[in-house]
Amino acid sequence: MKKSRMLCLVVVAGFIAYNIFIYQSSLTPYVTFAQARSAKSAVQVKGTLATPIIAQTEDRQAIVFALRDEAGEEVTVIYRGAKPDGLEQATGIVAVGKYTSGQFLADKLLVKCPSKYQGSVNK
Amino acid sequence: MNRKVIAVVIAIWIAGVMYAVFNLVPPVEGLGNLVRLAFFHIPVAWVSVLAFLVSAVTAGQYLRTRQLKYDWVSASSAKLGLLFCLLATVSGAVFAKLTWGAYWNWDPRQTTIFILFLLYGAYLALRSAIEEEERRAAVAAVYALLAFLTVPFLVFIIPRMYFSLHPEPVLNSVGKIDMEPVMLYVLLAALAGCTALFGLLLSSSVAGKTIPSGKGMDE
Repeated sequence: MKKSRMLCLVVVAGFIAYNIFIYQSSLTPYVTFAQARSAKSAVQVKGTLATPIIAQTEDRQAIVFALRDEAGEEVTVIYRGAKPDGLEQATGIVAVGKYTSGQFLADKLLVKCPSKYQGSVNK
Repeated sequence: MNRKVIAVVIAIWIAGVMYAVFNLVPPVEGLGNLVRLAFFHIPVAWVSVLAFLVSAVTAGQYLRTRQLKYDWVSASSAKLGLLFCLLATVSGAVFAKLTWGAYWNWDPRQTTIFILFLLYGAYLALRSAIEEEERRAAVAAVYALLAFLTVPFLVFIIPRMYFSLHPEPVLNSVGKIDMEPVMLYVLLAALAGCTALFGLLLSSSVAGKTIPSGKGMDE
């Protein structure tokens, strides 16, 4: 009796895990540039800074940089807005927007900062 | 022990923790003063998982013994879990807005906590759909056990499998706690305070009920 109950729980847990793997693509919103090309609506592309150089327009209204996605593809991202803090130090960058004619126009940039719970130098 | 005395002790403790969070914790590299939010966000998230665990364990106890008091503990704990889950989600969304630049972008962590929220919302709906006490207790207990099976996947496994903007959990895979001692102590104190508060809320919620035989739960 006890054994059969345990078996039931194991089966159910396995079923849940299986379902999660089936729907795993819907668990994360982030796509690669290749997928972004065929997308109709705005997508979230995640990647890292390909080169440490970030060009900024004189009036600080837009920035341009190269983003390398997970597949290793590098695409120029144009973001109309002020440069987010910690963009250069980010361990991950998510650009939200549309892919158009070889460039990625971002309306939003999300920045993942390295989490160090250490006091900053200028206490 | 008198519940009022315990409540006062917890209140003083939490006030002390708040003082420490605002005065002893230094601003950190990268987050600056925003780090103070973590001392609310982490404890409530931890308590919501704990509450769902308590709910599942007492549900198992009910199925073994068929004593309704376990059903009450299980139900109260699930409700509190839902409340703390909501607090964690809202504080997390505010945190996300300040650090990533968006309240909600369906990050894996945000997706899974949302699923968890729906799961336990369904638990409450299920309870309110059954009139008869014994039957309700049995059905709800089975559901609480099954619902908790998903918690490890939703809270611990999936967010670590995918890229997430969420920072590495404090207890990361390496098993190394990368935190300044003062912050670690304040965090542990906040966790203790929040857990004690949960215990207090749970016991007063259960004590509010009376057993048909006339024997109260309150000792």
